[in-house]
Amino acid sequence: MTSVVETRATGLTGPIARTVDVGVERRSFADVARDHLDRLYGFCVRLTNNPSDAEDLVQETLLRAMRAYGDLRDPSRTKGWLFAIATNTRRDLYRAQGRQVATVPLETTGAEGDEFSLFETIAIEDPFPYSDELHLDFLRLFHDDDVRAVFGSITSVFRLPLILTVIHGFSCKEAAAILDIPLGTLLSRLHRGRKQLERGLWDYAVANGLVTTTDEDER
Amino acid sequence: MIDCREAVRRMWAYIEHELEAKPVAEFEAHLDTCQRCCGELEFSRHVREMVAEREDTTPMPSDLRSRIEAMLAGANDAKEGSA
Repeated sequence: MTSVVETRATGLTGPIARTVDVGVERRSFADVARDHLDRLYGFCVRLTNNPSDAEDLVQETLLRAMRAYGDLRDPSRTKGWLFAIATNTRRDLYRAQGRQVATVPLETTGAEGDEFSLFETIAIEDPFPYSDELHLDFLRLFHDDDVRAVFGSITSVFRLPLILTVIHGFSCKEAAAILDIPLGTLLSRLHRGRKQLERGLWDYAVANGLVTTTDEDER
Repeated sequence: MIDCREAVRRMWAYIEHELEAKPVAEFEAHLDTCQRCCGELEFSRHVREMVAEREDTTPMPSDLRSRIEAMLAGANDAKEGSA
């Protein structure tokens, strides 16, 4: 099996082994790229948080991918390969523009913030006192737009591991390779992202009147 | 034996099947004795499922798609021309 590291190397500057023709005709880059255009665009929108930047990023990613396509050893990994190129391209574009790629603030790397538990908060606040499915009823409050709003509020470095694993179905190892970070870092950020998601769901529900908290009851 | 805090920390990695054998064994041993973490694990699966179902279906803008199609067609033409 081709190493996931391939996704990190391909499309960048390092030399890697070329594809070996073994008699099976390789699909054209255009055909392969078309299979992934919508998902690549969606990923770029989430990478940049800006539709205009996403358009530039998609085009630059495809240009780089086109040039490096001959280096892609395992076509079944095309999606991850494109996502890795997009991640690196965004970093290069931001650097060229003098913009900062989001990094992890030191104060968010520790245990602080780990204390909040949505599971426990729902149980304690008991927003649906007559419900037999308290936790599920809480989740049922959220429509697509609500979830997207909460998801979009998660710090980018913590949101990306969630996007790659939960939404796009990459393994954590593949996601780590795409983001060019160690697996342990990926797992840590996945946990932090999950915690921000939980906190975001609760805060959003309170702020938008989806639930009434104990404090409000007592006023 | 791990405590609830450590169990919660491992929970999503467990759901993603990304824990090694020993941490899995420790986590599952904790579940055997902790109804609360069993409940949170089930809830976490539902939260994950909710997010996964909201996969971004934002369609690519038609003008961008047109530009990309032109770029891809140009690449094919160049390849055929050089063959």
